[in-house]
Amino acid sequence: MSDAIVRVEALRKCYGDLEVLRSVDLQVEAGEVICIIGPSGSGKSTLLRTINHLEVPTAGEIHVNGMFINDTSLKGKAFDKHLCEVRTNLGMVFQHFHLFPHMSILQNVIEGPVQVLKQNKAEAEEKAMQLLTSVGLADKRDAYPDMLSGGQKQRVAIVRALAMNPSVMLFDEPTSALDPELVGEVLSVMEGLAKEGMTMLIVTHEMEFARKVADRVIFMDGGFIVEQGTPDQVFGNPQHQRTQQFLASIHS
Amino acid sequence: MFDWAIIVKYFPILSEAALLTLYISVISLVLGLIFGLAAALARLSSNRVLFGIASFYIWLIRSTPLLVQLFLIYYGLPQFGLELSPFVSGVLGLALNVGAYNAETIRAGIQSISHGQTEAALSIGMTHAQAMRRIILPQAVRNIIPPLGNNFIILIKDTSLVSTITLVELTMKTQQLVGTTYKPFELYLAATILYAILTSATALALRAVEKRMHLKTQRS
Ligand SMILES: Nc1ncnc2c1ncn2[C@@H]1O[C@H](COP(=O)(O)OP(=O)(O)O)[C@@H](O)[C@H]1O
Ligand SMILES: [Mg+2]
Repeated sequence: MSDAIVRVEALRKCYGDLEVLRSVDLQVEAGEVICIIGPSGSGKSTLLRTINHLEVPTAGEIHVNGMFINDTSLKGKAFDKHLCEVRTNLGMVFQHFHLFPHMSILQNVIEGPVQVLKQNKAEAEEKAMQLLTSVGLADKRDAYPDMLSGGQKQRVAIVRALAMNPSVMLFDEPTSALDPELVGEVLSVMEGLAKEGMTMLIVTHEMEFARKVADRVIFMDGGFIVEQGTPDQVFGNPQHQRTQQFLASIHS
Repeated sequence: MFDWAIIVKYFPILSEAALLTLYISVISLVLGLIFGLAAALARLSSNRVLFGIASFYIWLIRSTPLLVQLFLIYYGLPQFGLELSPFVSGVLGLALNVGAYNAETIRAGIQSISHGQTEAALSIGMTHAQAMRRIILPQAVRNIIPPLGNNFIILIKDTSLVSTITLVELTMKTQQLVGTTYKPFELYLAATILYAILTSATALALRAVEKRMHLKTQRS
């Protein structure tokens, strides 16, 4: 048995006749930062979303922290409970933030710890304020999401996920919805997390960032992992023709 | 000849009857909200039986006249030994009726909230029920209040139909007074004014509520 935090085995995902993931295998080790790149429609989001079961896999297995997520031997309520428990180990950051607009920033952050982890409110607030301070948003605690810029919203979304104390953070194009001048502040928060040893799986089009921060880069196309390796290997000396074409297309 | 004195004389009695109308409306509305929320959640659930029951209920109510529904409850059910008082029959009929319309209003309100909100809630480990209660419904309420208010105003007007099952609310009271005074124009005019007051006051109150909610929304 490996001590991988996330283990994906022979994962397939179909939407009707469309096969979006065709046998994907992936192991994420503790502390590893993986950037997933690839053309639009190649299945990157679907891979992340099946890992925390927002999409139901068609076939294959996903294990997180030794827990078998899509354990089909569990039925009904037992499976729902199991799913909630596994998901507390996975922090998810969406392209469009999805902050809760009817709650203040602080409420957004403590919602999971209080409602799901049943932490007491004072304790959750203290931790939330530490996290908000670390991303430079302590003064926004009583603001509402609509009053924040996109970059601020995404930093709050990251904090909301971190507040659950996850083992892995999943990022699905966290900067793609941002104005260019706001991208840097979010990437630097993510870089900080990587330095602290957080395990991260990041779908991104920010190649500079991937080159600098990733331990491993994965290139996906057509529902396959076509190629993977260190940033130097994948960016510097791509082996596969489709990787070369993709990298050429984004540099032009 | 038009006789103001009739209106002045009977206005207090009619106002009392209008209070009963308001009372019937409010109780039916509260029950109708419960029926509506239950049916809306059932329509959105993955449980086929609940979905089927709720769909049938909503379809049946919306495709038949309220008057016939009231007759079925008040005159029909005693045949099976279930004798309900006029008041209970009337309130039950109105509540079931407005509940079906509320269900569609509430369902539309819930569906207007982006699916990303549910996904964000699930991804922090919430159950579907928690996500609905903590994240979706509080946001949906803002979209639901205005059309729900519309349903309420229609409900107030519909209460006049319970006069046909011997409930002495505003319309029935007016009919009775017409029978003794032979002044139909004055008395029905008075009833008209009272209905207009009830519905307009409700509309104003609803607008105030919406305004307050809007202020909150702007803050967020
Ligand atoms: N819910 C869905 N229903 C049907 N097809 C979908 C759905 N979600 C994604 N797809 C399709 O799956 C493919 C992969 O999508 P996605 O994982 O979002 O790609 P990427 O994130 O790499 O751009 C695309 O062709 C997309 O149209
Ligand atoms: Mg995507």
